Amino acid sequence: MNALTDTWYITMRDLRARIRMPVFIFISLFQPIVFLLLFPQIFKAVGSNMFTGDTSYLQFFTPGILVMTGLLSAALSGIGMIINMDTGILSKMLATPVTRVSIVLGRVMATVLVILIQAAIIMIITVIMGVHIQTGIGGALLALLLIGLLGLGISAFSEGLALLLKRQETLMAVVNLFGMPLMLLSTMMMPSELLPNWLNTVRHFNPIDYAIVGVRDLVLNGYVWHDLWRSFAVLGGMAVVTVAFATTMFRRRTE
Amino acid sequence: MTDGQSVIKTRKLTKIYPGNMKAVDGIDVEVKSGEIFAFLGPNGAGKTTTIKMLNTLLKPTSGRAMVAGFDVAKKPGEVRKRIGYAAQDVGVDEHSTGRENLTLYGHFYRLDNDTIKRRVKKIFEIVGLTGYENKMVSTYSGGMRKRLDLAMGLIHRPQILFLDEPTTGLDPQTRAHIWEYIHTLVEKLGMTIFMTTHYMDEADHLANRIAIIDLGKIVTMGTADELKRSIGGDVVTLSPVGDNAEARKEFVKRADAILAGKPFVTGTKPTDGELAVYVNNSESAIPSIMQLLTGEGIAVKTISISRPSLDDVFLKYTGRTIRAQEGTRTTPTQISNMGNRRGR
Repeated sequence: MNALTDTWYITMRDLRARIRMPVFIFISLFQPIVFLLLFPQIFKAVGSNMFTGDTSYLQFFTPGILVMTGLLSAALSGIGMIINMDTGILSKMLATPVTRVSIVLGRVMATVLVILIQAAIIMIITVIMGVHIQTGIGGALLALLLIGLLGLGISAFSEGLALLLKRQETLMAVVNLFGMPLMLLSTMMMPSELLPNWLNTVRHFNPIDYAIVGVRDLVLNGYVWHDLWRSFAVLGGMAVVTVAFATTMFRRRTE
Repeated sequence: MTDGQSVIKTRKLTKIYPGNMKAVDGIDVEVKSGEIFAFLGPNGAGKTTTIKMLNTLLKPTSGRAMVAGFDVAKKPGEVRKRIGYAAQDVGVDEHSTGRENLTLYGHFYRLDNDTIKRRVKKIFEIVGLTGYENKMVSTYSGGMRKRLDLAMGLIHRPQILFLDEPTTGLDPQTRAHIWEYIHTLVEKLGMTIFMTTHYMDEADHLANRIAIIDLGKIVTMGTADELKRSIGGDVVTLSPVGDNAEARKEFVKRADAILAGKPFVTGTKPTDGELAVYVNNSESAIPSIMQLLTGEGIAVKTISISRPSLDDVFLKYTGRTIRAQEGTRTTPTQISNMGNRRGR
């Protein structure tokens, strides 16, 4: 019980702090928006050859951008933990009876909520740009749920890494090292039919791709349940593993 | 002031860090309810490590510590409910208001909303921040942050407040304010305070009892007066002619050899640049000292007389000075460079 209320208070504190600095919420939206504006231009020719009917490259690319938004924000979540360690906020909290795991879980939950806000903003922008979401409001909410689940898994991993690496620079380096390849080794930018065979094999080991496939179904194709179940299962499984990793790292760091 | 009940008691408390670094080496200490107890020593002496074992942030390698009636290793949760902690680094959240910072801590201590509200008002008065409750901490000055940091350790009315270097890095005026608040806490709320400091004047001004700690061990313990008296009489400091380090060393060595053991000398303490001579009565001792040294052909540039300070206590028990080093262990060169700064 205490664990839940403590997590709630820390989540709210963190969320409040982040919403008070809207500039940060928008800075991490900058890259997705630039991609959103540029890629459909760059791939215009590809798009008209590749897609039939009213599917434009923008329409195809939107799910990828939504996932990218969640991924980028989540991956940097651990930086806040390192700041808390460096400034003494963490030590001070640990000297209180606060439930230990709530400190890390509260941070992860706040990140997930911020990601949902960001993804919703991107979604609205794409709708204004003319993207049609096949499954309507219900599907859009389900897509946000998938992105939130991905955010949960990745931000818990980032918090765990932060506790392991203890330095902002190192964490940034690791995020950069993995972030780009994870996005490229997926169907984020190209449909699977146009990818080389080896990449089609590799992407099945990439959790990001499961989020993209699920969200893309909801935006382009409708409720393709056999894809959606798999996406929820893989992302849910990843979240369980990384939350366990983060809490283990936290216990190790603080005991 | 003291009601005699022991609230902190350690038995051979020891912390060994990986690499066999003995940070705290078998400390025995007892603090009574209502006391302000200070650990005085240079950084690296083991002060922070000790405080972090007492407030449950670090597990002792061996030995025991009872805080507020509970063993820190076995019942850390019980200890945490009864203590407050303000570290050297201020642990406040910049992106929240003062009230939000305090309220969050109120929730951590399982207080209900009404109680939190009432206490926030009261505590802001105590630390002199009334009117700033709803301002963002990012607009607070350094001194105000420190006071808020203190306040966050008070919301649950702890029995014991742990203060690690409470005034390091603060300007003199703010330091005076913080001292005042610490006194208020003890007088009005009956708290016990366990603090660390490397400032002699801070220990002298605030603490009922002081333990001088060096290299992880308590070298001496008592009230400020007891410690000063343990040196006895006056301190006569002799400084040689010239700046040559070798010559100064030679001066100290020779003067020490001549004066040590003389009946009017209770002790000597050589540093690299100067010689401190502890005497019962400086008026009668100085002519004898001059006579003895002149007779051996040793020229003295300056003589200064002082009542023993905690600096001298520290020097006597550790062989080094603590002043002006702020954070680093003194090397012999540093001590000789500090030669001209004797006296306070």
